[in-house]
Amino acid sequence: MNYEPPKWADRFLRWYCNPRFLEEIEGDIYELFDRRVEQQNPKVARLKFIWDVFRFFRWSNINRTNSKYTTMNHFMLLRNYLKLGMRNIRKNLVSSSINIFGMAIAICFAISIFIFTDAQLSMDNFHSNADRIYQITNYVDQDGNDNLWSDSPMMLGPALKTDHPSVEEFARFEFRSTVAKYKSEVFDELAVFTDPSFFKMFDYEMIAGNRDVLYNKSNVVISKEMAIKYFNDEDPIGKELSFKFMNGKVKRLVVGAVLEKYPYNTSIGFDFYLPMENFYDLEFENANDWAFMTDANFILLKEGESISSIYDSFDKYKELQHGSNPEWKVRSFEPLVLTDLSTTSYMIEGSVSGGGHPAGRVALIVIATFLLGMACFNFMNISVVSASKRLKEIALRKVMGSVRREIIYQFMVENLLTCFFALLVGAALSYFLLIPWFDIMIPEMDIQFRTNDPFTLIYLMLGLLIGVGIISGAYPAFYISKFDTITIFKGNEKFGSKNLFSKIMLGIQFFLAVMTIVGCFIMTEQSIYLGEKDWGYDPEGTMSVYVNGQEQYDLLKNQVVNHPAVINHTSSDLLIGRGITKVSFEMGDKQIGVRRIGASEGYFDTFRLRMKEGRPLTDRAEDKNGNVVVNEKFVNAMGWESGLGQTFTYDSTRYKVVGIVEDFHYYDFFSPIDPVMIHGLAPEKVRYLTVQADPEKLVDLEQHTREAWLAIAPNDPFDRVFQEDAFDGFYQENESNINILMLITGIAIVLACLGLYGLLSFNVQGKLKEFSVRKVLGAEPKVLVKIISKQYFWVLLISFLIGAPLGTFGMMNLVVSVFPDTKPVTALPFIIAVSIILITLIVTVAGQIKKAINVNPADLLRTE
Amino acid sequence: MKGNHLGELEELVLLTVGSLYNEAYGVAVMDEIRENAGRDMNISAIHAVLRRLEEKGLLKSHMGGSTNERGGRRKRLFTLTKAGKLALDQSISLRQSLYERIPNITYSFSI
Repeated sequence: MNYEPPKWADRFLRWYCNPRFLEEIEGDIYELFDRRVEQQNPKVARLKFIWDVFRFFRWSNINRTNSKYTTMNHFMLLRNYLKLGMRNIRKNLVSSSINIFGMAIAICFAISIFIFTDAQLSMDNFHSNADRIYQITNYVDQDGNDNLWSDSPMMLGPALKTDHPSVEEFARFEFRSTVAKYKSEVFDELAVFTDPSFFKMFDYEMIAGNRDVLYNKSNVVISKEMAIKYFNDEDPIGKELSFKFMNGKVKRLVVGAVLEKYPYNTSIGFDFYLPMENFYDLEFENANDWAFMTDANFILLKEGESISSIYDSFDKYKELQHGSNPEWKVRSFEPLVLTDLSTTSYMIEGSVSGGGHPAGRVALIVIATFLLGMACFNFMNISVVSASKRLKEIALRKVMGSVRREIIYQFMVENLLTCFFALLVGAALSYFLLIPWFDIMIPEMDIQFRTNDPFTLIYLMLGLLIGVGIISGAYPAFYISKFDTITIFKGNEKFGSKNLFSKIMLGIQFFLAVMTIVGCFIMTEQSIYLGEKDWGYDPEGTMSVYVNGQEQYDLLKNQVVNHPAVINHTSSDLLIGRGITKVSFEMGDKQIGVRRIGASEGYFDTFRLRMKEGRPLTDRAEDKNGNVVVNEKFVNAMGWESGLGQTFTYDSTRYKVVGIVEDFHYYDFFSPIDPVMIHGLAPEKVRYLTVQADPEKLVDLEQHTREAWLAIAPNDPFDRVFQEDAFDGFYQENESNINILMLITGIAIVLACLGLYGLLSFNVQGKLKEFSVRKVLGAEPKVLVKIISKQYFWVLLISFLIGAPLGTFGMMNLVVSVFPDTKPVTALPFIIAVSIILITLIVTVAGQIKKAINVNPADLLRTE
Repeated sequence: MKGNHLGELEELVLLTVGSLYNEAYGVAVMDEIRENAGRDMNISAIHAVLRRLEEKGLLKSHMGGSTNERGGRRKRLFTLTKAGKLALDQSISLRQSLYERIPNITYSFSI
């Protein structure tokens, strides 16, 4: 009988084996197979056949090229290419440095933006349970709009834990401002009441103390910063801190643990953690019920559980909540996983985690891509043009037997080498300059040269090297290698001087530059406009002091208002610039959100608010209770034709409008102005004493007030605000924005200049002979200038005509989504962009023209 | 590069190819080594060594005529080159000269 070896094994052998060896190998193992069938048995023979097939599965049998000389040759050529690349860089030092430097700037920007974005996207992911921690937010119906709120029912956390075995722990946050005191150190602070399981859910490291201290309600956990602020060198553990709350109650708590400095990507980190039980003591009426909304509810799921396991209870909770708080109805609950919180926080009202609007992030990424694109085009352009000097080398290589692939390979290696240097310089620039600069510009974030996962940075660098190297190097390499040897040697290759391609490249580059410049200037214009905007009142010389109740107010007022510097004074319960409360009330069938301030006589004079109609409030009885002054927005929101004399009811009080004040800003310029009502102030509700003084004597007055305060209330911090500083935070942010935009514009301009310069210098170099001939024949310098600049004029005009509208359109879309109140686009950004580019052009062209004009024709035309 | 140094297995295969004169192909070399040296080797290892020796220029090869065995597949037959013969001579004379230098006294150490 005729036995056959297993077919699949034979097929496998034929598949992998180099055809050159297949016959002998197959022959040998078939011979062995036949012998084994005879001597042993078919089964063993088949197994051994399979074994043999696998034993032959080695590289020397698979490798098709099968020549170690080829690989060695590749390696040696690579060395040769690298050496040539280095020599070329050194030989054309100017154009290579332009290439490297331009690319380095773009790479530096790309790396920095990446690091910046990475820091924002990796917020909070260092907690080992990060993917199991959820915040339960909720949509609340307000004036027919569903708004996402962080504030959720106090009972939600505990209910979820009892109802669902999948929920391991819960922790709620309830913020209260407090006055913390240790010996003589007294400061205003923000305390968070939380459940003791907080430190089981979140991974914050502790310097001292253990994670269970909050189970003891007489303990408090503080941040490292606070430990230094209050205790300096002392050991804080076991020391007693006293906390005085707004309702006058005082809690004395013992420091049980101190937290290590928060990691840079922490968005939820506070200074004082107080056990939740203390909150019940303080405000018992707010204790566990469904009506009270606490600031945030966090839960920790058990491992392997899905968040959907808790969905079925939501309807039940909704009913409970509606039953106890019909004014504030939760429409639906929305669990959000911890790692997404800071990127979505801009959508959440009362969010506990920081994190800005993503528009800025997106804009930065887009701009970084633009800059990289510009640098790549730059690179392509200069490479293609500089290759025109090397046509003979290419032709000679072809004659000596190089195939096209090898020439492509050579140019790619050279380009990668240049990119490698650019990457080194770019990373160094980012490390030493841009990242530290970002860190200063954006004080609320700690930005360092690092990524959350160190490998990301390495991948980024490799990606940039390969991506940028291939994108910018591929075209030159393929283009150059295509040339015909004979045409080159005959000198017929028309290339470099009148190349349409390099003009298109330059056009695209300028198009990107124009877009960036116009966009940045529009944004800057808007930022400057915001910065110079009328506040609606005059803050100069105005100082407010926070007082804790009527008694302190009366004492302080008597001491301060008699100071010779004081011009006006008033009292209020809330302060412009610190945010004023928003309340909502029904007007007929619609709900409107209104901000309110309680104020006494002199308020309008002290702040120099501008009355539009009617009169300001006084201290007369009818003004104290019943008369209000509203702003213009209020009148519009109510739909009144004329506001004066209108009445409305709020909080069961009937109000009559006696005056209308012009709209003024009370928080920042990013948020739109809401309707505002200013009503009389009940004496016991006073919180701020505000005085208007001669600005030159303000420092004096402050000193005087501080001394008076120390005598009146040594246990309370002296908290004073200069109205001129009220929008400081806003101005700083605005200024950072302007600075960052200016930097980007600067980079775009530099890149565009470099591109133009590189191209021009090659162009002029190639035409020097032509110019010499023209000069010999009597050409004026004017003619040369015209010849050189003419060919770039149209390119620039076209790129401007396309780039400017696109830049405007893109940036305005962004601007409208970020700024509430935009200024219409003026011609200024375009004029600036045009003049910048023109100046660039003139400066770059001038140098080259000078060269062309100064050249001695005899030097160039002589052949001997 | 390992240089022109001859490994122990390489030397063995080289000797076997020489002794099989004109009949040296994979399976034959394998059988010969098993019979004479008692070493059981896989056919793939023999192929690898043969190819390496050919790359070093110590062996040359040609395809034999086709026969009825092996499904009509031809054998690759190996023969010694001049360099191969030289390498064997050198290696054997080196061994011989070293062997002869072993003094008699060496044996007296064995107890």
